[in-house]
Amino acid sequence: MIEAKNLRKIFRGNRGLRDFSLSIAPGELVGLVGPNGAGKTTLIKIISTLLPADSGFTTVCGYSVSAESQAVRASTGYLADFPGVYQDMRVEEFLQFFADAFRLREPQRSASIQRAIERSGLQDRQNDFVEHLSLGWKQRLLLAKTLLHEPKILLLDEPATGLDPLARIALREQLKQLHAEGITILISSHILSDLEDICTRIVFIADGKNVSEPSTASKTAQAALPVIRCEIEFVAPLSAVDAAISRAKGKSLSGKKGNQLIVELPGGAEEASAFLQDLLASKVLVIHFDARGPGLEERYRRTFEERLS
Amino acid sequence: MKRFITNPMIRKELRQRLRERRAWLLPSLYLLVVAGTASFAYYATTSIAATNGQLEIQGADIGVAIFLTVIFTQIVVLLLMAPVFSAGSLTIEKEQRTLAGLLTSLLSVPQIWWGKFVAALLYLLLLLSSALPLLALSFAFGGVEPVQLLKATGSTVLVLASLSAVGLWCSALFRRSIHATATCYAIVLVLSVVTVVTFGILSAHWESSGAAASGEGIPAYVQSPMFLNPLYPLLALFSPGQGNSFSYPVCSWLLFIAIGCLAAAFTMRRLQRSGEQL
Repeated sequence: MIEAKNLRKIFRGNRGLRDFSLSIAPGELVGLVGPNGAGKTTLIKIISTLLPADSGFTTVCGYSVSAESQAVRASTGYLADFPGVYQDMRVEEFLQFFADAFRLREPQRSASIQRAIERSGLQDRQNDFVEHLSLGWKQRLLLAKTLLHEPKILLLDEPATGLDPLARIALREQLKQLHAEGITILISSHILSDLEDICTRIVFIADGKNVSEPSTASKTAQAALPVIRCEIEFVAPLSAVDAAISRAKGKSLSGKKGNQLIVELPGGAEEASAFLQDLLASKVLVIHFDARGPGLEERYRRTFEERLS
Repeated sequence: MKRFITNPMIRKELRQRLRERRAWLLPSLYLLVVAGTASFAYYATTSIAATNGQLEIQGADIGVAIFLTVIFTQIVVLLLMAPVFSAGSLTIEKEQRTLAGLLTSLLSVPQIWWGKFVAALLYLLLLLSSALPLLALSFAFGGVEPVQLLKATGSTVLVLASLSAVGLWCSALFRRSIHATATCYAIVLVLSVVTVVTFGILSAHWESSGAAASGEGIPAYVQSPMFLNPLYPLLALFSPGQGNSFSYPVCSWLLFIAIGCLAAAFTMRRLQRSGEQL
């Protein structure tokens, strides 16, 4: 759906993208994560045809971003970071303008506008001036506008910035719904918990490079190896627990409080299951066992720890 | 071609402009100024005649005085207004962060430019046409032919269109409306004042060389700086055949067309590369 190969775009101050490559399959909901100035916005701008790359190439739905920009725009919906609205237009007029800008013809035009109004939940406010809407409602309107021409791909650059928790929840639900409808989404955000909740894949970007691909420097790749975190609550005996922990390969005890332990194991669900079986075989009375992979926050920390220090 | 006529940008721009308070305030002020100068021309002509002891004043004299006063007042006032309408029209999209939405829609850059240009020019045309009844007043006194009115209006529209294109170029260059408008005013000032000063210097040099004594009109090379003056086409149109007159309106028109086309090309080029500014 989206193929970016060796993208390079350098700005003054040496920021931008350096040989960035990324492949997104149809139906994926990919989160783009990285520190400020990592190149997230630049990448999204290049894919959305707003910015030409210095070198490399990008295709969207098989169309070249540089040579077939109109076809790319017809198949993508782009929502900028801090997007603006025409405050002095009514909600319906705003959508009508963009329906015309995307060359929608009747009866599709009216149907799309109506659908967008329903999608944004602005049925009762379609005659209101945009300036009278709250930030959350404006964001809904903008997303509805972005979907007017029924794009196959959505490019969202920090769409949740400035939204209150309720608006963020609504946005998250809307994105889940769009993903379920089969729309491919590339979203950049600093709100990791939101991305963790909705994304099917996370791409880490730092200094203009994709640091989550296999070609990444080995140290960083090492840091990103999967680790599973097990929270255990038991009744007795402690010695059997200690023995089971000492048998687990590569384990690390990261917390101990009374009858509660937190153990991190290399690997995934299988390793966690084996550890639990070992505990039970050692006659430990386990009353609570919760095994989870590292959160996005933890993965982010591990990936960028070296760079941040 | 149809896309340029049914351009959604034009509808959007006009709707937004007509919703502003200045949509009715400016035409009102404009008409007051033009009507004031027309009245002044009438009273000045009649009172000068009375002072000179003329018992009868030719109606044609009054008609011509009103006509010339109104057309020159119009162009001066509209030159002051043109930057306001054009120089802010792309910067406002940058300031309210809506330009990215336009550039990622299916509107082409020439369509966006055309929409902005037509909207800016249409508003100036609205002002221009609102003063037509005042201009037509000169017909009642005589001395002015309809074809002169057409020529004056056509020439004014051409100069305003060219300066609107320059205003849009300033708008594409800057991020803030205030900077774009200030630059556009500076350009208008250079075209209006520097050309006159240059012409004055060349003219003095020409006169001191003794060539003026031959009785021929001002040569083209001396007049050439004035070709860029927004008032020159009107001065040339309404002082034909007299000694030392300006006589090359076509050169001036062609220059203004060239300036407008260049400004349009630079604006579109700048818009295509504006991704970094967004």
